[in-house]
Amino acid sequence: MKNKINLFLVEYAINALVRRGGKHFFIGFIFTFLIFLLSSTLFISDAIKLELGSALHALPEITLQRFVAGKQSDVPIQRVDALLDIEGVKSAIPRVWGYYYFKPAGVNFSVIGMDAFSRQYTQTLQTIVDGIDMKALEKENGMIVGEGVKKILGANYYQDFFNFVTSDGQWKKVFIAGTFNASISLEANDMILLPKKIAYEIFGMDTTRATDIVVSVSNPKEISMVVNKINLLYPDMRTITKDDIRVSYQNIFDYKSGFFLSLFMVCAFTFFIIVYDKLSGLSSEEKKEIGILKAVGWSMDDIIKEKFYESFILSLGAFMLGICFSLFFVYGLQAPLLRDIFMGYSNLKPSFNLPFSVDGGMLCLLFLLSVPIYIGATLIPTWRASILDADEVMR
Amino acid sequence: MIMLRDIRKVYTSASEEVVALKNISLHVKVGEFCVLKGASGSGKSTVLSLIAGLSKPSSGEVMVDGKQISKLPDTFSAHFRRRNIGFIFQKYHLIPTLSVKDNIIVPLIPENLPLAQIEQRVQNVMEKFSIAHKATSMVKYLSGGEQQRVAIARALVNHPKIILADEPTANLDATLSMELMTIFEMLKNEGVSIIVATHDPLFFDLACVDSIKEMKNGEIVS
Amino acid sequence: MTLTPEIIALLMLDALFLFFSLIALVLSVRIFLKWDMHSTHALQYSLEKQSYLVSVVIKYIFTLKIPLFLFFIFTCNKLSNIITGAMCAAGVVNSVDFGLYLTVFKIINLYFFGFWLLLNRADMKEEKLPFTKLKFLLFILFFVPLLAEIVLEISFFSSLNISKIVSCCGTLFSAASTSYLSLLFKVDKTLVVGIFYFFAFLIGIAYFLKNSVVFIFANGMFVIFAIVSLIVFFSTYVYELPTHNCPFCLLQKEYYGVGYVMYVTLYIGTFFGIGGTILNGLLRSDDRLFLKISLLFDTLYVLIVSAYPLSYYLKNGVWL
Repeated sequence: MKNKINLFLVEYAINALVRRGGKHFFIGFIFTFLIFLLSSTLFISDAIKLELGSALHALPEITLQRFVAGKQSDVPIQRVDALLDIEGVKSAIPRVWGYYYFKPAGVNFSVIGMDAFSRQYTQTLQTIVDGIDMKALEKENGMIVGEGVKKILGANYYQDFFNFVTSDGQWKKVFIAGTFNASISLEANDMILLPKKIAYEIFGMDTTRATDIVVSVSNPKEISMVVNKINLLYPDMRTITKDDIRVSYQNIFDYKSGFFLSLFMVCAFTFFIIVYDKLSGLSSEEKKEIGILKAVGWSMDDIIKEKFYESFILSLGAFMLGICFSLFFVYGLQAPLLRDIFMGYSNLKPSFNLPFSVDGGMLCLLFLLSVPIYIGATLIPTWRASILDADEVMR
Repeated sequence: MIMLRDIRKVYTSASEEVVALKNISLHVKVGEFCVLKGASGSGKSTVLSLIAGLSKPSSGEVMVDGKQISKLPDTFSAHFRRRNIGFIFQKYHLIPTLSVKDNIIVPLIPENLPLAQIEQRVQNVMEKFSIAHKATSMVKYLSGGEQQRVAIARALVNHPKIILADEPTANLDATLSMELMTIFEMLKNEGVSIIVATHDPLFFDLACVDSIKEMKNGEIVS
Repeated sequence: MTLTPEIIALLMLDALFLFFSLIALVLSVRIFLKWDMHSTHALQYSLEKQSYLVSVVIKYIFTLKIPLFLFFIFTCNKLSNIITGAMCAAGVVNSVDFGLYLTVFKIINLYFFGFWLLLNRADMKEEKLPFTKLKFLLFILFFVPLLAEIVLEISFFSSLNISKIVSCCGTLFSAASTSYLSLLFKVDKTLVVGIFYFFAFLIGIAYFLKNSVVFIFANGMFVIFAIVSLIVFFSTYVYELPTHNCPFCLLQKEYYGVGYVMYVTLYIGTFFGIGGTILNGLLRSDDRLFLKISLLFDTLYVLIVSAYPLSYYLKNGVWL
């Protein structure tokens, strides 16, 4: 049994790659670039998913929104007590929040109303609020803003305060009392925290109502049961669980990368046609070489193997090179240009670091998307070369 | 040793059939030096490629060393060729961008022998034809005579029992041709069968040549 | 239809396989019909050359099939994050009616194509190429399950519905389930485990008696009962939960992917046990190499799965 890899054949293949450098360099270069593009895209979307995942981790287990005539509407605050009576519910907190459209910059701020004493429903908010004296904030009519908001306001000459336009057309002047740092950047960058009273005023809401209610459940396994009970109690309320949000995010990004991948496939297909064409068109030099090899005793099998090593080495090399480049591009340089494709939904969002998220599964995926397909493109040209008649050299 | 019986070889292209060989019968004994003479296109090269198992006859049989080489599947005929046949071509047919040593190794590659054994064989044959000092030079920078010796070294690295030479002197000057003759004579004395296809008159009255066959239009005429 | 990158990769390779296997099919039919070792006609020579393309193509497909099988399960495991209710690949596979058939076809094809390559190798070793007609006939036959697998896989991924709520493996692999899988749980555990060890033992006996028929039979039954006993008995010890009977969760990170090791050893052991022995029969050879490999890996599998309940018993002093 001769199953050992023939190192001389490998050496010959490497030699052949080098000897016909021009042709192979071109293919190798484009292939590396394609793999670079592909892996960068997947790395970025995975990194964003991971970042979102950690942000989602902090989300409340269940969010309740009230729908009236198919549109989201405010929730009467007294429902909170009824919710707390449901068995398994640990807490129910009414939230007052919304988006405020800032026309000069064309962006939305998330405006969140805070109470002095109420417990916050996420860890992040809790840490932010812990560092703030809400009472003082209320007294001095102030707000705390995210870094992104501060920057935008500053650019529009609002250094110390900002005039909100309330829903009845009044100006509401609120002072900027401070900013919070962007360690939890993705969710907090576009955020404005201010006392609930001011939030009600800006949105023109009735103080007996809340935007929505967040419910936390003591035992995560009981979530679906609690959801059922709430649906029975308040048929007009829609329950959104953390899992729902996670799935929909996952879908958005799978969809985005899937879409990108489909485009990529078109490029890749074109590329493989080029490979096929390049490899099929053997120069007379190459034909002669194959003739010589056959005459000195190489079998078709040996020639197929040699050509296979050539394309395997080339594609594996391009694969590794492409991966290295994109690791550097995505995690070293934070993927300039490309990441915008994935985060195009707000000017304020993109200011976080992509967390490292490459694992074995991802590398397998990238490998399967590149190397086997390249080799597939070379199969027929390789076979064609191997069946060439050796007679060529005899003339 | 080598037996060709009623060989007929037809090349079929899309539009026509070309008969390259008809009724060829040839017998070459062990250690015999046989010259196939004839103009180009007379079918000499085809006979050589049939003997080597590089192409297959349309009818008839080719026996080499007791094996019907025309019936062997590719893997086996390649194996057979590697072990038993050394080829010397008209224009040397070396791989110009490889070094001398790498060119000589080529026939040994499919065997996948241990490194030491390969080194040993290559070294021996390079010394025999005094090109060892050029081992690492690229073939395309060598002189014609050196290239010829590399080509012969490559043909002999597997210690073949049969040497097939196709117009070996076509590109050689008188001195190099004479040198080649000496090598052929030496090989013949070692018991190697030699078949040379040529129209160079130099071979026709050589002492060591045992038989001369003349070919014309795909047939052996004398 | 969900297009995650993993699914696109699988579908694309499926398309490639389909393309190449169709070429191979056409060539195989031609070779099967016209092959004549004694002919000196140009056709025979060109058929000989084409046979190389077929074997190159099949080698290509098969070499990718093994990692792709594992990648398929990996993808399903990953999809279980998106599909509501699914905890592991089992839920995903079962979210479509024919998911189970797809998996079965995938496994069958691994055996078929592995055998084809063994046969091809044996064929190329002989000057007379004695199995050429047989191997191309076999490819024509094997094309059917291959096509079935590819078609099923494509329709599997296109009918995956992420908003549909599926069952997790907890309900699929339990006596309470209504599927035919639940039948497994109606049978006595000890009986199943007993049969499993019986066939393992029989493999050993057949090996020493050099009886190929029994060896093949025992290996065949061994695969089936290995999987059944893994579901009803051994898996519970891996999870250390008496109610968790799932052959897919084994592949997850929490259990150090021990499932991959189990399935690969089981495959190698039984593949050489069945395929290798059949080949020996065809060759009329009594080379014991394949049998040795088979015995080694079968034993390895038995040791791995047995280690879990044993170590559980030693640690806790009770059986689950």
